[in-house]
Amino acid sequence: MTATAPALPPFWSLVEAHGDELLAHARRLAGPEHAEDVLQDAFLRALRAYPRLRHAEHLRAWLYRVTTTAAIDAHRGRPRESPVAEPPIVAVADDVDADGAFEALIAPLPEAAREPLRLRFVEDLDYDHIAGRLGCSPQAARQRVSTAVRTLRERHAA
Amino acid sequence: MTPLPDTLLEAVASAAVREGLADAIFTRLSTPIGRLLVVQGPNGIVRVGFEEEPEDALLAGVAAELGPRVVASDRELAATRDALSAYLEGEESMLDLPVDLGFVHAPFRRAVLETLHDTVRRGEVVTYGKLAERSGRPGAFRAAATACARNPVPIVVPCHRVLPGSGGIGNYGGGVARKRVLLELEGAL
Repeated sequence: MTATAPALPPFWSLVEAHGDELLAHARRLAGPEHAEDVLQDAFLRALRAYPRLRHAEHLRAWLYRVTTTAAIDAHRGRPRESPVAEPPIVAVADDVDADGAFEALIAPLPEAAREPLRLRFVEDLDYDHIAGRLGCSPQAARQRVSTAVRTLRERHAA
Repeated sequence: MTPLPDTLLEAVASAAVREGLADAIFTRLSTPIGRLLVVQGPNGIVRVGFEEEPEDALLAGVAAELGPRVVASDRELAATRDALSAYLEGEESMLDLPVDLGFVHAPFRRAVLETLHDTVRRGEVVTYGKLAERSGRPGAFRAAATACARNPVPIVVPCHRVLPGSGGIGNYGGGVARKRVLLELEGAL
């Protein structure tokens, strides 16, 4: 390994730390009957790309993104691997928003409103997980999503 | 939330090994001397950890040496698990498992552990002084003791078979109680 290579954690520590929630994510995206196949595919895609990652940040968000891509490809019925090669610099699952329509929709809002909306509607997380990502309580997470939705509505109604 | 099924994890690990995507494979094993973590690289066993050793740090060390694609699989390491279990449950086997001492960077320490692995069989013991001598540096018993204390693959490279020349059982990285159990198991005490 070169001196510039990031100190990536052992891959399996990510699997053991996030596997349960990734399976739940795969189940929401692909349904219970396909969730395990999707997640297995996602882990293998992630393993192939893992040594090439240029930084060791946002690995959980990256795994969400790889899982989302695997679910979409399973649904389309054709493999597509290239988008998993790099983790997002920020935690955006932009494959779900491939045409950028969602980002464009929320662009006028402050980041404090955009992030809860992405977690809820792009990454499709429940409020417990949104709370974990935002570092607040689930009630506060629900409130922030709700406020952001209201702001968005008002913005587009105006 | 439903936990990940073991079958899914094993399927991922097996596919990873088949595709050459695993830099190292590890397994957790319950034994009469506690839980062991055993890590295998491409050339043999690189680490054995007793249950007191923090697993995160151990696996991070493996990732730093061999690469980050570290996966767990009981199935891929079934032969290693069976051999260690049989040995630790008292079967009279020789525990002839492939070892890779690549994590030992100091040349003399590595020589000491290689000599120990190659020359001190089950049921035998050796003193630190004698082991130093056999490894090419008579008198370097302290260095030999350090090599044993930092042995990355205890049990498989049998540092429990090395005793102080002054008598007694001496120290052990996994604790003196385990050293005694292992030596009794082998009929050396």
